[in-house]
Amino acid sequence: MLGGPRPPQPHSLTMFAYLIRRILITIPLALGVVLVVTVSFDLIPGDPAALILGEFATPQAIAELRTSLGLDRSLPVRYVTYVGDILRGDLGVSIRDRRPVTDILAETFPYTIQLALVAILLVLAVGIPLGLLAASRPGSWIDNLIRVTSLAGLSMPVFWTGIVFMVIFSVNLRWFPVSGTGTWRHLVLPAVTLALPSIAVVARMTRSTVLEVLREDFVRTARAKGVAERSLLYKHTLRNALIPVVTVMGLQLGQMLGGAVLTETVFAWPGVGRLTVFAIFNRDFVLMQGLVLVLAMVYVFVNLLVDLSYGVIDPRVRYQ
Amino acid sequence: MSVAAPAVPSAASARRDVWRRFRRNRLGMVGAVIVLLLIVMAVFAPQLAPSDPADQNLRARRTPPNAEFLLGADEFGRDILSRIIYGTRASLTVALASVALGLTLGSFLGALAGYLGGWVDGLVMRTMDLFLAFPYLLLAIIIVSALGPGILNTIVAIAVWTIPAFARVARSAVLQLKERDFVTAAISLGAKEARIMGVHLLPNFAATLVVYASLYLAYAILMESALSFLGLGVQPPTASWAGMIASGRNYVTSAPHIATIPGIAIAIAVLGFNLLGDGLRDALDPRSAKS
Amino acid sequence: MKTRMWTVLLCVAVLAAGAAFAQKTLTIVRPSDPVALDPHLETTAPGSWVYTQILEPLITVNQDMEIVGRLATSWEFVDPSRLRFTLRQGVTFHDGTPFNADAVKYTWDRAISSDPPGRWRSLASAVVGAEVVDEFTVDIVASQPFGPLELVAAMPYTAIVSPTAVEAVGSDAFTRAPVGTGPFKFVEWRANDRIVLEANDDYWRGRPALDQVIFRTVPEEGARMLSLRTGEADMVLLPTPSDLPALEADPNFIVEGAPGVGIFYLAFNLDRPNVADVRVRQAVAHAIDRELIVEAILEGGGVLAKSVIGEPVFGFKDMELLERYPYDPERARALLVEAGYTQGSDGFMRDAAGNVLTLQALPSNGRSLKDREIAETLQEFLRQAGIAVELDIFEWATTFQLMRGETLDYDLNSFTWFTTTADADYTMYSNYVSTEVPPASWNRWRYANPQVDEWLKAARASLDPAERAELYGLVQDQLAIDLPAIPLYGSFEVAVLSADVTGFVAHPIQYLLDLFPVDKR
Repeated sequence: MLGGPRPPQPHSLTMFAYLIRRILITIPLALGVVLVVTVSFDLIPGDPAALILGEFATPQAIAELRTSLGLDRSLPVRYVTYVGDILRGDLGVSIRDRRPVTDILAETFPYTIQLALVAILLVLAVGIPLGLLAASRPGSWIDNLIRVTSLAGLSMPVFWTGIVFMVIFSVNLRWFPVSGTGTWRHLVLPAVTLALPSIAVVARMTRSTVLEVLREDFVRTARAKGVAERSLLYKHTLRNALIPVVTVMGLQLGQMLGGAVLTETVFAWPGVGRLTVFAIFNRDFVLMQGLVLVLAMVYVFVNLLVDLSYGVIDPRVRYQ
Repeated sequence: MSVAAPAVPSAASARRDVWRRFRRNRLGMVGAVIVLLLIVMAVFAPQLAPSDPADQNLRARRTPPNAEFLLGADEFGRDILSRIIYGTRASLTVALASVALGLTLGSFLGALAGYLGGWVDGLVMRTMDLFLAFPYLLLAIIIVSALGPGILNTIVAIAVWTIPAFARVARSAVLQLKERDFVTAAISLGAKEARIMGVHLLPNFAATLVVYASLYLAYAILMESALSFLGLGVQPPTASWAGMIASGRNYVTSAPHIATIPGIAIAIAVLGFNLLGDGLRDALDPRSAKS
Repeated sequence: MKTRMWTVLLCVAVLAAGAAFAQKTLTIVRPSDPVALDPHLETTAPGSWVYTQILEPLITVNQDMEIVGRLATSWEFVDPSRLRFTLRQGVTFHDGTPFNADAVKYTWDRAISSDPPGRWRSLASAVVGAEVVDEFTVDIVASQPFGPLELVAAMPYTAIVSPTAVEAVGSDAFTRAPVGTGPFKFVEWRANDRIVLEANDDYWRGRPALDQVIFRTVPEEGARMLSLRTGEADMVLLPTPSDLPALEADPNFIVEGAPGVGIFYLAFNLDRPNVADVRVRQAVAHAIDRELIVEAILEGGGVLAKSVIGEPVFGFKDMELLERYPYDPERARALLVEAGYTQGSDGFMRDAAGNVLTLQALPSNGRSLKDREIAETLQEFLRQAGIAVELDIFEWATTFQLMRGETLDYDLNSFTWFTTTADADYTMYSNYVSTEVPPASWNRWRYANPQVDEWLKAARASLDPAERAELYGLVQDQLAIDLPAIPLYGSFEVAVLSADVTGFVAHPIQYLLDLFPVDKR
């Protein structure tokens, strides 16, 4: 996780044991994350019951609602009850919607996953090739062009590019719908907006790691071994170069799955990012607890996938 | 340099080499120039801006760029050019202060973790993991609500977000120091050698920090704009670029200049810091980047 | 022979498909998804826009602010605390069960007496429930003589639900799939995306012209307007006011609006020393150019407020604010000087100790049209008059919490109050009676005037409209002098539609959206 990509280490544990260890580590993480949410909702002003009942409610009505929602229990009680519930698979009932949190999440996540997957595919399909192209001709005009445009791509605020795309492609060209969901067309603009900064980051990352690796191994060994070996070496060095790129893509995917708030807001995409905003603004901490828990799991899962993929990319890697 | 000079180059000549390499990097120089211009705009805003950024002229609202309003007027009839210039203050202050704060706290935590190792290291790193797994927006709102709205809480909110990255850099630098038998060297080779190694290693660590800092300055501007867009940033009448985009976005069809121009300003500022950071990284580590 | 058969079948298929596609669907875009589709859990407009198509009350207020019967054919007070309704016969719920007095009693009991009660219970104020007289006669009963009883019964929240349906799926599930007597039936709700309704063929007024209504959730104002232009949406609620003039001039679109029952105020906190002096409040009134605010910021999205209640509200009287407090920054400064302040060299007014007169403001943010923008403009206007204003712009949850606190550490705040029952009592009692202070009630300005208290209490108890109107007039005159709040603009309920849509008439009460007469070419 935080230590960055671990360099390939000689063998010790089997993959299974490694997985188990990783999963076990997530439990304190999960508990910690939920604790922070529970505590923080006590810290910030705003009463979900008052918000629900609106401007006209009497304090009595609010107090009654708070009791019936269990909001008047103390912090430790709420936390422990909640943890107990999670262990039974119950993420609670949304304060505002009075629906099981699991239902709400089950409705919302598919939209986020859709958007994130399409965006990450774009990153894969556009970012890596661009990086490779730039690395293959270092110092050339195309290299400079790619470097500058990718820097520009990650310098523009996402909500701004989203609005600009909307105006150009939806309003003026009428190629895509303005917002919402429904057809594949609805997915295009949000996915491109979301993917743009990641494409830039991945392109730059790919370029720099490939250059680094090429310089080291390639130059030395190619001279010694001759042309026939070159393609083999090229493939090998690429695998190594891809490790940091995969790490970065994992980070990007993790962010997309949890944090595409700005894109979702601009394009009215009913995903998890917007749901987080609603949960916070409505002080619906039950929903927030469930969301945060699932997002933490997603984050861990993505990290795990990334680490496992090192093994696929470079079979010399063993799990420590 | 005389023949008897030590194998390790002196700090001063290393700095000269870095500067020379940086100067040759055209894009890096462009970044430096942009950043310099931004600083000038921020410092000399009252002299540069044609009018008071808070002056409203409701009857002139949404005027497109013309002779009187060089970049047009916003929905209150305020001069956009003046607001862009003054907005540099908010963006730069937030970016610099938050990165400085994050760098200090993060490096301290990371160095502590690396140096002490053991459970302290575990605790600090797990806390960082917690931070990363936690939705940043919620964190920002907690901070905004606890501290009250305004520039201070935005700085804290963004600083907190930058801490994990600086912590990681500091921690790995300290770990490298430990690994390099620094202690053994200090004992066996005598203090002078140890000092030389410190002089050689710490600048490296400082170099990485500088690169990260400049890149995070770029991120910080984007973060500040995201928070402002969601209404969690600086308060009126302080001009803020993202605030201008946020309020201008409803007029994209009737008065697109209100939202477009600040977006360009943000993009240029972020680009500047990114180019600067790239340039610094290339200059400090000649192995990376192009020939 | 075979080819002919296939050709015929193909034609039929195409025609059938064509007929299906010729279904008249009205797509409406608005910013937020409701909490629920049942007044039991949902008291805000996004909910009522949808459920008023599905559920109907006994009586309702029409666009001309007259009370008309819906599920009731006639009604009268049998005594000052009891209103008797004669119900319409032959009406069935969407699930086929009959509408009768038992359904009415069930609805009111569920809202008022169940645990937890409906979220609108406190709006019912003195009403305690419903009593069945016979199959098609029912009484709504209050605990005391209650003049506004008729208008309470006309609130959209009192819409009648199918008892069978509630019992069958449970109250909570019902709120997400309601069954009523209305012109449209519930079909589907995809959270945060869309709600789909279809026409009720057996509706008692006749089948509506539209086949289907789709409510789509689009939070971005710009995106909503763009959807209208691209044809993705037929109707936009809460449009961008600055777009309205161009849209009105465009033959492809219709702008349909009506002055509403909401008033957006700049409110003072009379407990705070800085604004306790009425001259300071009057100075603030002179410092603000309200007409310019309405013209330049609201741009047709609101009207100049003439009183603390909206013009369509029963009891309204013009407070003549423009005459009493015209825009005059010089007069403002003069009043401040009278109140003991002196002008500093930087233009700001200072008190005896040399401190700049600074007002702390807690504006509403994103709740009312242009509230944030108005706050910024007010700050600037007051600066021109020498008063410094510090704005604390929070998100609504925090703002609301602060506003409802027992003490309010702000000199100014802003808010919209909608007189949903269209009766002055609803707003004025809870806002101006001295005992009605937060957190129990809404006298946020902590205004205390015993004479006003007397007038308002008398107006509430009286059943004589003329007497009530006169009393409310006296109150408004007094408020114009005491100025605990400055009304800034009145709401203007406006929607923009494609020119293909006919029959829509805007309703002054922002909760109501009448789609029954709407048709689409």
